[in-house]
Amino acid sequence: MAHLSEGTLRRKVDDQDSLNGPDARHYATCTECQTRYETFADDARVAASLLATPDLKVDVNSAFKRVQTAPAAKPRFGIRLPVIRPAMRPVFGGLAAAVALVLLIGTGIAQDLLGVFNPTSITTVPVSVADLQSLSELGTYGTLTWTTQLQPQFVTSAAEAATVSGLKVPVVSPLPAGVSSTVTYAAMPQAVGVFTFDATKAAAAASAAGKTLPPMPSGMDGSTLTVTVGPAVVEVYGDLMKGSASNSTQINLPQLIVAESSAPLVTSSHATTKEIEDYLLAQPGISPKLAAAIRAVGDPSKTLLIPIPIDYATSTTVQVQGVNGVALGDNTGLGAAVVWIKNGVIYGVAGTLTQDVVVGVANHLR
Amino acid sequence: MRSNEESFEALFRAEYTRVAGIANRVLADPHEAEDVAQEVFIDFNRLHSATAHYASAWLYRAAAHKALNRMRGRRRRERREFAQAADAGASTMDPQHMLEVSEDRRKVREALARMAPKPATVLVLRASGLSYSEVAQALGVGIGQIGTLLRRAEAALRKEVTSGSSL
Repeated sequence: MAHLSEGTLRRKVDDQDSLNGPDARHYATCTECQTRYETFADDARVAASLLATPDLKVDVNSAFKRVQTAPAAKPRFGIRLPVIRPAMRPVFGGLAAAVALVLLIGTGIAQDLLGVFNPTSITTVPVSVADLQSLSELGTYGTLTWTTQLQPQFVTSAAEAATVSGLKVPVVSPLPAGVSSTVTYAAMPQAVGVFTFDATKAAAAASAAGKTLPPMPSGMDGSTLTVTVGPAVVEVYGDLMKGSASNSTQINLPQLIVAESSAPLVTSSHATTKEIEDYLLAQPGISPKLAAAIRAVGDPSKTLLIPIPIDYATSTTVQVQGVNGVALGDNTGLGAAVVWIKNGVIYGVAGTLTQDVVVGVANHLR
Repeated sequence: MRSNEESFEALFRAEYTRVAGIANRVLADPHEAEDVAQEVFIDFNRLHSATAHYASAWLYRAAAHKALNRMRGRRRRERREFAQAADAGASTMDPQHMLEVSEDRRKVREALARMAPKPATVLVLRASGLSYSEVAQALGVGIGQIGTLLRRAEAALRKEVTSGSSL
């Protein structure tokens, strides 16, 4: 039998009963391992002695008061990312509600009252600026409560991103020429929110915006949608603060972004599919073209819709990792992105690169 | 359900002593250690939810890293101050103060600051009483790696500190 490893012997220093079975029998008869153990134990004793410090006496109450009154620290990258600022969570929540409703439109709330949205494929729908504005207001038509809070955060390594998200963090290999190897990681555990439709609130919000809404169906008022998003990880390549460390208003654009998220899951409590779809698509500002495009989606419960601003972007279908994906942008190098969904996970790669390069990165993600 | 502020206060009260202790293990200076611990909590509160499952692990690692960084900065500052004092004829240096600084303690802290971050952090966290499991979570590595990391770090520390001494 091979000699015991460093780690095994070191652990024995802290736990005399840590050796079991063959390890214990080997150690009992191996003078070499016993000698190594003595060396390790001596080094451990010396290290403990060197690092010994007198007991620290702290006043927790005073310390907490100091932390409470401390001025806000300078953001890490010179800008505050809104999704991680506690004060922005309600705003982000409203946005999430709007996204949930957009997802819901796409689902058609499946085929029955208790429809489930869990996409396995991806397609695009053309939207105008007016459509986007109208869709963004949908979050005001009810109340969103996070039963499991959104907790997006910066982390310091891929390993930590994996720990926070529980996802395997994609590895970009090879890195495209000219892209910095400096990576910033962000991660988010799974979050669950419940959106409750509120006819009174919707009418008030619309009235404040000078609009009149179609009446909310009685079966829809008070009904709930449960939205599960994430977990997710994002890798941002680029030296974001290069040349601007002393200027908090400047930040370099990332060269490459890789994102991965479990596909969202939306369930509806008791409003009918048709009620919700008809109501949402009848909102003022939603163009007949968008409504027709959404209604034309083949299997809405399994299709993730990517809104494409018709005046600003073009899209094509590409093969990525053996499945159909959606590529945006072009080969000018100004910017391109590709999104695909595989095995219940949504992936995205974007960057200030040509579309060919972005699709190449996507196909070589490991 | 508790608000985020209440959750943060509960986290602070539960972990402050330990976080400050980790910083003190590196700095051997209670006041500076408390400064570091408070900065760590402020950073955490700015970026994370107090109910995050990884909160304690994050705080422990951040305390070790921030204290080690401060130690490296302190070394640079002390060298600079010493050079400035020497330029001024060293008349402003208080010999008694110099004597009060424990040479052994200073050597240990300087050795820690010279080590790579991961082994230095392993040593500090383990010496601060964290279990193998807690150290593994703080470092984001498997618990099976801790014994090996610890062993190598201890050997490296002893080598750094004791070269030329009788330890």
